[in-house]
Amino acid sequence: MSQFRIPGKGRVDHAKTVRFAFDNREYTGLRGDTVASALLAHGVHLMGRSFKYHRPRGPVTADSAEPNALIGTSRGPGRFEPNTRATVQELREGLICESQNRLGALSFDFGAVNDALYPLFPAGFYYKTFMWPRSFWDKLYEPVIRRAAGLGRAPSEVDPDTYASRYLHADLLVVGAGPSGLMAALEAARAGVRVTLVDENAEMGGALLSDPGVEIDGRPAWDWLDATLAELASLGVRLMTRTTAIGYYHQNMIGLCQKLTDHLDEIADNAPRERMWRVRATRVVLAQGALEKPLVFHGNDRPGVMLAGAAQTYLHRYGVKVGTRAVIVTSHDSAYHAAFDLAAAGTRIVAIVETRAAPPETLRAEARVRGIELLAGHTVTGTRGRLRVASVTVNPVQGGRVGEPRMIHCDCLLMSGGWTPSLHLFSHTKGSLQWDAESNTFLPGRMTENCHIAGAGRGLWGFEAALTDGAKAGADAARALGNEAKAAPLSVAHDRPGTGESHRELPTDRRSSRVRAFIDFQNDVTAKDIRLAVREGMRSIEHVKRYTTNGMATDQGKMSNINGLMIAADAVGKAPPEVGLTTFRPPYTPTTFGAFAGYHRGATFEVTRRTPIDPWAEANGAVFEPVSLWRRAWYFPKGGEDMEAAVARECRATRASVGIFDASTLGKIEVAGPDAVEFMNRMYTNPWTKLAPGRCRYGVLLGEDGYIRDDGVIGRLSDELFHVTTTTGGAPRVLNMMEDYLQTEWPDLDVWLTSTTEQWATVALNGPNARKVLEGLVEGVDLSAEAMPHMSVAECRVAGFPARLFRLSFTGELGFEINVPARHGLALWEALMEAGRPHDITPYGTETMHVLRAEKGFIIVGQDTDGTVAPEDAGLGWAIGKKKPDFVGKRSLARPDLVAPGRKQLVGLLTEDGGVKLEEGAQIVLDPDQPLPMKMVGHVTSSYHSATLGRSIAMALIEGGHDMEGRDVYLPMPDGTHRARITSTAFYDPDGSRLKL
Amino acid sequence: MLLIHCPYCDETLPELEFAYAGEAHIARPEDPSTMSDEEWRDFLFIRSNPKGPHFERWRHVHGCARFFNAVRDTVSDRFLLTYKAGEPRPDLASLEAAQ
Amino acid sequence: MMTDQTHDFPVTSEAGARLRIEELAPEARFSLRVRPTNAPVLGQALGLDLPGRIGQIAEAQGRKALCLGPDEWLICAPEAARDAIVEAARDAYVAASHSLTEISDREISYAISGPAAQELLSIACPRDLDRLAPGEAVRTVFDSAQVVLWRDGPEAFRLDVWRSFAPHVRALLDIGRAEIDAGL
Repeated sequence: MSQFRIPGKGRVDHAKTVRFAFDNREYTGLRGDTVASALLAHGVHLMGRSFKYHRPRGPVTADSAEPNALIGTSRGPGRFEPNTRATVQELREGLICESQNRLGALSFDFGAVNDALYPLFPAGFYYKTFMWPRSFWDKLYEPVIRRAAGLGRAPSEVDPDTYASRYLHADLLVVGAGPSGLMAALEAARAGVRVTLVDENAEMGGALLSDPGVEIDGRPAWDWLDATLAELASLGVRLMTRTTAIGYYHQNMIGLCQKLTDHLDEIADNAPRERMWRVRATRVVLAQGALEKPLVFHGNDRPGVMLAGAAQTYLHRYGVKVGTRAVIVTSHDSAYHAAFDLAAAGTRIVAIVETRAAPPETLRAEARVRGIELLAGHTVTGTRGRLRVASVTVNPVQGGRVGEPRMIHCDCLLMSGGWTPSLHLFSHTKGSLQWDAESNTFLPGRMTENCHIAGAGRGLWGFEAALTDGAKAGADAARALGNEAKAAPLSVAHDRPGTGESHRELPTDRRSSRVRAFIDFQNDVTAKDIRLAVREGMRSIEHVKRYTTNGMATDQGKMSNINGLMIAADAVGKAPPEVGLTTFRPPYTPTTFGAFAGYHRGATFEVTRRTPIDPWAEANGAVFEPVSLWRRAWYFPKGGEDMEAAVARECRATRASVGIFDASTLGKIEVAGPDAVEFMNRMYTNPWTKLAPGRCRYGVLLGEDGYIRDDGVIGRLSDELFHVTTTTGGAPRVLNMMEDYLQTEWPDLDVWLTSTTEQWATVALNGPNARKVLEGLVEGVDLSAEAMPHMSVAECRVAGFPARLFRLSFTGELGFEINVPARHGLALWEALMEAGRPHDITPYGTETMHVLRAEKGFIIVGQDTDGTVAPEDAGLGWAIGKKKPDFVGKRSLARPDLVAPGRKQLVGLLTEDGGVKLEEGAQIVLDPDQPLPMKMVGHVTSSYHSATLGRSIAMALIEGGHDMEGRDVYLPMPDGTHRARITSTAFYDPDGSRLKL
Repeated sequence: MLLIHCPYCDETLPELEFAYAGEAHIARPEDPSTMSDEEWRDFLFIRSNPKGPHFERWRHVHGCARFFNAVRDTVSDRFLLTYKAGEPRPDLASLEAAQ
Repeated sequence: MMTDQTHDFPVTSEAGARLRIEELAPEARFSLRVRPTNAPVLGQALGLDLPGRIGQIAEAQGRKALCLGPDEWLICAPEAARDAIVEAARDAYVAASHSLTEISDREISYAISGPAAQELLSIACPRDLDRLAPGEAVRTVFDSAQVVLWRDGPEAFRLDVWRSFAPHVRALLDIGRAEIDAGL
């Protein structure tokens, strides 16, 4: 046992030793330790280096606000995490830790040369220095800055841990399980409220854990705590430790990040590392307490200088003395109690340096009793010690004059600049803050949410005040929820109330240019930097923050904001509330990406929709492509074929005999009711009245702006029933649009819409032998060209399954689309494969489908159109029912810009060299020799190699393209400029003779 | 994530079940062919975009599937009221007084 | 993949008793859309009193009608009743025009039961499930999939998921189940 650990003291388990390593050295700690407390127990204060100056640093807190003691932790292969706060990370057996931001050893850091050169690195250094010469940026400045940038070492492996998510609904959520939060939860739960109580620490109790001498209702604090937690549990309160409320969102939604396994030696299979809770609470009590402020003086960042409250926590929670000779410097009563407790534990308190001229007489008397020298009306003007504080220089201050220095030897310096209410979550709600001139701090003002703030979080100090206020908040919340509640009175003995005063920089006798008094420890921002920023014109606190980076470190200014504000306000010459506070944003503490992602990683990263035929495609070697949320078979390579070879083979086989294609992803909507035809007439451009049952038609859907939104073949099954198909990606959008018109514009129509996309599996057969394959499997319909001509639909049975059979073609070949109930889709596919064997039936994927349709000049909405293409532009003027009085988008077809000349129109393009395949998206110019910048007249929308035609083909949108057939255009591509001729889009079988089979 | 009261389900439910659907009370003209280019342009594209209470449409798309109307304050992101499609535009002054 | 086979977890472990996930066999299902004024006519034809409040279920002779929207009901019945339902609705069409669309194959259904069932659903369902009473059902979301969530009892739920989304939902349920089994 080291000299710094006090046997038997604290809440750690002195019987259970835990081994860990820090910077390749083995240490032992106790169960219940944090890395920081365990290292402090070995006298190790030096735990890291600062970001800019590489100054040696030790922990300044004992909690999540820690700016200095950031370490890398490794919990096994792949489980490395940078920037973990040593003050939060609990020990676990075999934990491996490393210090950060050092070049070389922690005790001898080459990067510390920055520290010696500090006059060269003032605020705004980067903005000023790396401006000139511009040519230095790429080669010199950026690489150097990149090497220096970033804190910690990013993990390089895939995170093997899993992360979980939950939704939780609570009547009351209490954030913070210190005295206020405990009482709030207790009073509300006693009143019958469904309560959740969360705390970021490993155990509940908050400040009570650091002040065991307090007595509540006649019981020692820790006994009272045990009893209270037991009662909360028995009342059914959900108690969550290691759970940080990271953000407070609209309507009382709170994000909680719960750490589950980082502290465990053994982790069960499938146990997630962290769990993100999305809590919706009817009422919220914020009982987050207050954060102790550092004092701002030269050398306040040396290892061994820490907050007095932190030292008190290390003593009582962990049984660790942070030093053997301590000097206290304070402007608040609370540090006296830390001093007295440390003295009682055997630390020699060499002096209490009190900035106030007249601290309370009771505290003076207690110091006197303990033989502690009290230096009232003094300031600290410096510290010394290479890697750890070895002495402190103190001076009397009288009438604003700093007197003669005196050096006091010590091994730790404990400071307290008073306490700031933790307002982060409250600020997330956009609640207003009120400046309290007496305590020089912001307090919560107007609320925007159904929330209560209790205890130190609203500026109260002392246990009785906090407990009473918490009880009141709990009772208020319960009453707001409609429950009867009355806060029971409490009695507190040995309470430690107190007050203090606030300072900017402490008075000093040093030349101001030689003072390095830190405000933001992590980002190395000094008081001087803030004043410099104001001198250089930064007036807004937001500008000061960005110019100096004050408050921009991973602690988000928990320690630095108020000190920074006080100094900036002084420099600007305004009152602090006029200068204002920068915005607090979630998350409250750094949160892993894993916790945000939750289950959305790997195979469940997002939904992958699969068709009923997907297993066949997978078993038969399909290569897939994502199409909206679906994965679709792209092509089916055989025997080492590449994509081009496979697609060419699939195309040739389909045109020569028969191909089979899984079209199940097509959107399908059942439009039914007496007004179905009227509805179709109003929605689609085409006329539907005369379409006979049993026939189908290609339909075009516009937006009200006249642009193409979707298309598809629509079959009329009876007078009052249409089977509408949509594009794969458009299905939900089209149904939404139809429902919108039906519900809000034409609620008088008797017609109803039902999505049947997933009711049906759809298989397309295309090719001159398609009928031959299908014939033997069909019952109840005559497939002959006379009985079932192109663009017809019938209900029948196929392969024994009830089916809706369409004769249509998206390839220019004789084609059928067979819809069967989805559960039979795979069986239908297999039956068709079997029946097609004599005809060498060839499965093809989406790429071949694209090529075959492009050979016919059929558009794909979203590829050949982009939301600014009208039907005429796409050559679909024939699909407009010009005699119809109205349909969605009709009026827009007469809009001035839609009838103006020079619109981009869809044309075919044939390159001069048929071996050249243009890039989709390639820009088009009329004259390749024109001066730069060239006038671009359009772009390529579709481009393929056509095996059928033995050359490349492309479609393009070109200004005035319909009148330019036969003209040459030019396409500059990376390999040179290509010439292409504008043609019709019907590259293959333009008169459609192949459909007449 | 907001909570939205669906006037058809008469329940206050998570935003994830809903979809925004643009400004409310913009009826499609009875006979668009009679509209001038300017009138039609205004119908298509011109929206009020207020700072403050905004009349807008939502759809309880993953619930009862109905479109309905809402008044939402674009500054506070708070819903002041939701009401069924087809109901008249509520009086803003009395709504704000009720808040 | 999603055929009518089931993938039940064997109920061997203690955890298995806490949570059971079962893919249900198909049944006859229809989406019924009809104006509320005509709902009683359809109700009579189908032998069900179509409930008027969203979330309510009527049940008779093995048939169920769940009110999903003001003019929308989900009808579930044994497969043997399919043709009779289609015919009865057809006969009622003249008196009360409507849309009765078969969707028996549109969704896959999972029964989720056991003391941890509600917790399992809370991994991805944002609704307050305490407010979904036994004997009620609602359309909502589970992760990014739309579902119909039935509460058959305090610890018994059914989830109807569009077929192509089912593998994703099932994968999440399995992850959640393993996580709950891990006990943290």
